[in-house]
Amino acid sequence: MNPETSPPSAMIDLIKVSKVYPPDVQAISDISLTVSRGEIVFLTGKSGAGKTTLLRLISRMEKPTKGMVDVAGFDVSKLLQRDIHLLRRKVGMAYQDFKLLPERTVADNIAIAMEVVYRSRPFIEKRTRELLEQLDLSKKYHTRAGELSRGEQQRVSIARAAANGPEIILADEPTGNLDAETTSRVMDLFMQLNRKGTTLVIATHDRSLFQDTPHRVIELRCGRVRSAQTEEQEDGKEMSNDTLACFQEDDRCDF
Amino acid sequence: MRFLAVVLRHTCRNMLLTWKSQCMTLFTVSLSVLIFSFFYLIYSNALHIGEELDDDLRLVVYLDEEPAPPLQEEYRRKILKFDQVDHIEFIGREQAYQRFEQQLGENTDVLTGVPTDFLPASIEVYPVRTLDSLSRIKRFSDYLQTLPGVIKVQYGKEWIERFYAFIQLMQVIILLSGSLLIMTTTFVVAHTIRLTLFSRQQELELLRLVGATNNYIRTPFLLEGAFQGFIGASCGMGALLLLFNWITLQFAGPATITLLPFAFFHWTVVLSIIGIATLLCAAGSFSAIRRFLHL
Repeated sequence: MNPETSPPSAMIDLIKVSKVYPPDVQAISDISLTVSRGEIVFLTGKSGAGKTTLLRLISRMEKPTKGMVDVAGFDVSKLLQRDIHLLRRKVGMAYQDFKLLPERTVADNIAIAMEVVYRSRPFIEKRTRELLEQLDLSKKYHTRAGELSRGEQQRVSIARAAANGPEIILADEPTGNLDAETTSRVMDLFMQLNRKGTTLVIATHDRSLFQDTPHRVIELRCGRVRSAQTEEQEDGKEMSNDTLACFQEDDRCDF
Repeated sequence: MRFLAVVLRHTCRNMLLTWKSQCMTLFTVSLSVLIFSFFYLIYSNALHIGEELDDDLRLVVYLDEEPAPPLQEEYRRKILKFDQVDHIEFIGREQAYQRFEQQLGENTDVLTGVPTDFLPASIEVYPVRTLDSLSRIKRFSDYLQTLPGVIKVQYGKEWIERFYAFIQLMQVIILLSGSLLIMTTTFVVAHTIRLTLFSRQQELELLRLVGATNNYIRTPFLLEGAFQGFIGASCGMGALLLLFNWITLQFAGPATITLLPFAFFHWTVVLSIIGIATLLCAAGSFSAIRRFLHL
């Protein structure tokens, strides 16, 4: 078992994390970030800013080149391959490329997340229908995922991430292909999960999602934290030294 | 329990999805098992026939004159010192004549005027009932030939040598077909599993991402290999049973085969062959998983 290294309130804790892809592409550079249990955080920034890499580091799809990543009590950088499932069961991720099985039905694609934790068949069916109902996909239960539109595929991916009611949901551009009404449905689902205690990290370009949000917004630029907008900051309080330092970075990417 | 139910469901679904390659693998495994078990059936029956014929096997040592009791004792001592000898029997000239007469049955009149001591005295040597004795008979016969007063030693030399050569040939064929069985089951199954692994790469990646354990991912492939072995071997044994029944029906009646004790395998042998094929296929699957499934 992995030792619990984070304080109980911190669900995600990144300390001076860097990620370099071979040969020398600096995707993330010295990022330090703490997300508390039950918090909602929006990650924003231009394409290539490092949002997806950050989510991949949190879900242990990548290992950091430097620094420490602590998620739900697991020191991700030291997590053994055979124990990764313990982390992944606590983290639901909605991928930018959806990662659906096109030959399998919508129900199968959602059920797969519940099957690996040995949920009973009746539970899986009930939960799948419930999620599809919430995301306005009830009629697509038996449709093959490959036959869906991109917006529908995106919702199936979100439904799968939410299926087990995980402690953390990482959503990479969850509303990129959705209209306003469906976006609202997706956000309702996220908020509902958050009310039950799920921590949410949402990477998005869509400013409408966080424009008037009371939640923390972190802007990434060239692999570094560019700004941190919190309720406290909106109330006029000062930003941390780390955040200020980030503001002082050159706007231009040097890689 | 739930783990087993889930992986069994996955295994069955995978096998149905790739039913074409599954059929090819099953056919190959069945054929290999059929070839191996066919020759093994012939071999085991030949061994059995050999044992049966061993009952009648004896070496007849013809003597130039009927030995007196002290000489008989001397012969008995020299022959019985060999472990391979069960017992010996002295046949005098008169006794030999009587036997011959009995064998002639209604045609005894041909012996009219023939002296009752025209046949030579002999010693009948009965070896112990092991097939192994067949290979040693020649050497034993050579030894008997060196005893004083021995004219000739007769033991159906040609038949025994041919039978022994046949047994040796069968042993070679069984080794070869056994090797074929091992190679096909291991390599063909490993190849099928490898293809399945490649074709399901996307699903395997997803399973890892949603928190499946390594055993959850590996076990269905291992079971798939074992099922291929079990079903393939069962089909092969079924085909052999059909072939056996067909042959016995075809040769039913006054043919040689009905006179010989030709029988199908005992059920324990059938289960052993199926079990070994299942294990071999599981091993083939395991090697493919180790080489190509990188978790």
